[in-house]
Amino acid sequence: MKKISVGIADLRIAQSPNVLISYGLGSCVGVALHDPFEKIGGLAHVMLPTASGIRTGDPLKYADSAIEMIVVRMVDAGCARGALLAKMAGGADMFLCSASDVRPKIGERNVEAVRAKLKELRIPLVAEDVGGNYGRTVELETATGVFTVRSVRLGSKRL
Amino acid sequence: MRLVALSHRQVDALREVSNIGVGHAATALSQLIGRQVSMRVPKVNIIPFSEVPKIVGGAELLVIGIYFQVLGDVTGDILVVFPEDSARALIGLLVNGKFDKNGEWSETAISSLNEIGNILASSYLNALGTLLGVTLIPSVPSLAYDMAGAILDTVLIEQSRVGDLALLIETEFFETKRSLRGHFFLVPDPASLALILDRIGARRG
Repeated sequence: MKKISVGIADLRIAQSPNVLISYGLGSCVGVALHDPFEKIGGLAHVMLPTASGIRTGDPLKYADSAIEMIVVRMVDAGCARGALLAKMAGGADMFLCSASDVRPKIGERNVEAVRAKLKELRIPLVAEDVGGNYGRTVELETATGVFTVRSVRLGSKRL
Repeated sequence: MRLVALSHRQVDALREVSNIGVGHAATALSQLIGRQVSMRVPKVNIIPFSEVPKIVGGAELLVIGIYFQVLGDVTGDILVVFPEDSARALIGLLVNGKFDKNGEWSETAISSLNEIGNILASSYLNALGTLLGVTLIPSVPSLAYDMAGAILDTVLIEQSRVGDLALLIETEFFETKRSLRGHFFLVPDPASLALILDRIGARRG
């Protein structure tokens, strides 16, 4: 079993028994897609909500375009589109104070963008752990689809 | 402005103005804690977002982050990062060695750390503002005790809207006797970077 790390604005696909892991998500969101029949998983670490109207730079930064890419890559790898299930975690607001009032809460907007894109693609969002003011590390087991979310204060949670 | 297009001369100029800012910040911190604090010459890091957490020791490392928005003619973020042991040592110096039980951070500890951050950020911005001929003030501080990756991604958002690289002006500071150390980051908003370079006369390579 290999642990494959997914950095900020990156996306990886893996198959059983490998594990995809993303460390220290703050306002970023970890979006995991899993095909329980093929036992193939994909994990994206997105920073911003939407690429629409921007279309410059790396599409993997944006929730909407990154999700499209995971689907394409998973279908290429042999997954049936209709079999895909999604889970997500992250989207925190790390610094709670007047400072965060000045700018839109990016974590919340990232979470909304993931929801909207999954709905559009008709991929069921089966579990999530989002918001709050703390960081998360996420791990997707491609063998089982178990999505583990770890945080400093709340320990480990299996979704 | 595109970061990849920055010339060596522009990077040098940024490092130079930042060096004066961190000099003032080091002096202010030395006075506060009554110990000699040294700062390394700042680095101007232009790197992919995924590499940013490596600067402080990895995305999962537990740190204290004290965050400020820069308000005024130049906007951006300031982030002061202390490894957990250094933060506790600092509090020890300020409140006579009274540590918090169970690893919890007391209100006194948090306000002491916020104050340290505030002194570093204000003295840095004062010096930088004088040099650039602009007014720069820090917002009120906000503190988080968490994984470095989660703390750092906050300061990358503005830059990520316009490009795929982060520009962080970073310096490490340390106090020799207790091997106390931390990182200071200035992350200018993309629009402000051009203004800073204009003001220091380094607009064109």
